[in-house]
Amino acid sequence: MLALALTPVFAADAPPAPAAPTGDYVENFDTLYNSLTVQRLGTMVELRARSRRGEFLESAVDQADPLKLVVEYTRTLYAAALFQPQPKRVLIIGLGGAGFHRLFAQTWPDALLQTVELDPKVFDLCQTRLGFKPTAQTPVTIADGRMFVKRDTTQWDWLILDAFRGGYIPPHLKTKEFYQECAARLSDRGVFISNLHEGTELFYSDIRTIQSVFSQVVLFNPPDSGNVIAFAVNYKTPAITDPAHWENAAGLTKLFKGKLDLGYVSGEHIPIPDQAVATATVLTDDFAPVEFQNVVKSNNETKVPSGGTTIAP
Amino acid sequence: MTLFLFYAIVVVLGVLSMGFQMLASRLLSPHYGSTIVEWVWLISTFLAAFSTGSMLGGWISNVPVARRQRLQVATAAIGVAALAVTAFYSTPMLDWLELKFIPDVSQMNDQSAAGMNEALLVSCLGLFFVPVTALSSFGPQCVGWLAARGTPSGQASGVVYAVSTLGNIAGVMLTVFYLIPHYRVSHLMYGWLAVAALSLTALILLLRRPTPPSSQ
Repeated sequence: MLALALTPVFAADAPPAPAAPTGDYVENFDTLYNSLTVQRLGTMVELRARSRRGEFLESAVDQADPLKLVVEYTRTLYAAALFQPQPKRVLIIGLGGAGFHRLFAQTWPDALLQTVELDPKVFDLCQTRLGFKPTAQTPVTIADGRMFVKRDTTQWDWLILDAFRGGYIPPHLKTKEFYQECAARLSDRGVFISNLHEGTELFYSDIRTIQSVFSQVVLFNPPDSGNVIAFAVNYKTPAITDPAHWENAAGLTKLFKGKLDLGYVSGEHIPIPDQAVATATVLTDDFAPVEFQNVVKSNNETKVPSGGTTIAP
Repeated sequence: MTLFLFYAIVVVLGVLSMGFQMLASRLLSPHYGSTIVEWVWLISTFLAAFSTGSMLGGWISNVPVARRQRLQVATAAIGVAALAVTAFYSTPMLDWLELKFIPDVSQMNDQSAAGMNEALLVSCLGLFFVPVTALSSFGPQCVGWLAARGTPSGQASGVVYAVSTLGNIAGVMLTVFYLIPHYRVSHLMYGWLAVAALSLTALILLLRRPTPPSSQ
């Protein structure tokens, strides 16, 4: 009875966005969790999130070539194939504009790509503006990523964490306890993938926290993006830190039919900054000053942190 | 000196109340995420506690002295005990509550799902309502004490709530900008418990002090 009484009051279902305008356009949407901009220029449609540090490119789709991975770091996410080349079940936390999804669905049409997205408006815009059409193989659940992982019992081959709200990072998705929940949901050879932002103290805490849970961690740095993608696994052998043990990049590249060169992506491998990581904080549910570490610049060269790329100040 | 101590305690109670709300958000987020729905229930619970506490405190202010003093002790003891439960047992309680109300993925496809609202309602009421109600109940009693010392009742009310609100602001700022970045939430909760016990004890003793004859 209480449930029935409360549901209409707190119904979060926003009305669907009207049909997309024709031609070039810029639209702004204020949602429960984001301030979003959708811009179409020619065949390119961008989804951006506004924050105090400018606009962050969340996703972009070239409607003339929807399989093209426009945002640099989404290509790097596919480096997971170097460690687990046959993903049958993939979970991605954070939908964005589904830039990752189209190529995945074409490359592994029988695989399940489950998405968890917090903001229902992002899902709406993704369908009405960026042309994403979820199928039985690419379902989307509107929920908090951590709540989903805690209850879900699937063993995932890839578990991708790409949850940002503009520049804001939810602290509860950065903690040791959450990573332990993710590690428990990986298949035997499963890979945990996390999109990190370099240039702040949080970057080193992120790596140290991931290291505290997973047996092996490797980093890839897409050029000029400000992003670093961490790949982590539960097993100790083979050593994924040694590129000699990776799957053949040239062979995997053929799967992507010219849309992605995994040989190029494998060249983005960078060493872990051990010295800075050694003194970093392990983030826990009890102590996760994420918002503060995210604004404290590290001593290293600072690039632009982003869900994708910063567009404007 | 007495007045200085009085206002200092009022400030501390304000700090405890709103700083506790910031800590509460950190206690909830590992279980219910970091959503606007969570904040709806958190803020509503605290406002309901402020309202209930004010009503309770207003009633206690007007009962005979001996009974009033017993009620003050009882209210403070219940508030501190409830805060102790939150400080020591919030994680296992929230573990149980979130799975009780939202047991599986099929119930999660909408943040507005009734299970989420029920879980947050019960969690917020169970962990935060009682201690904040107890703290808030001392506001009207502070007004009554100040008025009994000769301050016009309207002015006494204005001053107490102004000082208390300054404490609220300080509590939010101190907790968010200094305490959370430097200390574990669990340790902060223990600190809250100790400061609440000390400040309520001091306030109860202060409220028992005889009113100066000159202000009768």
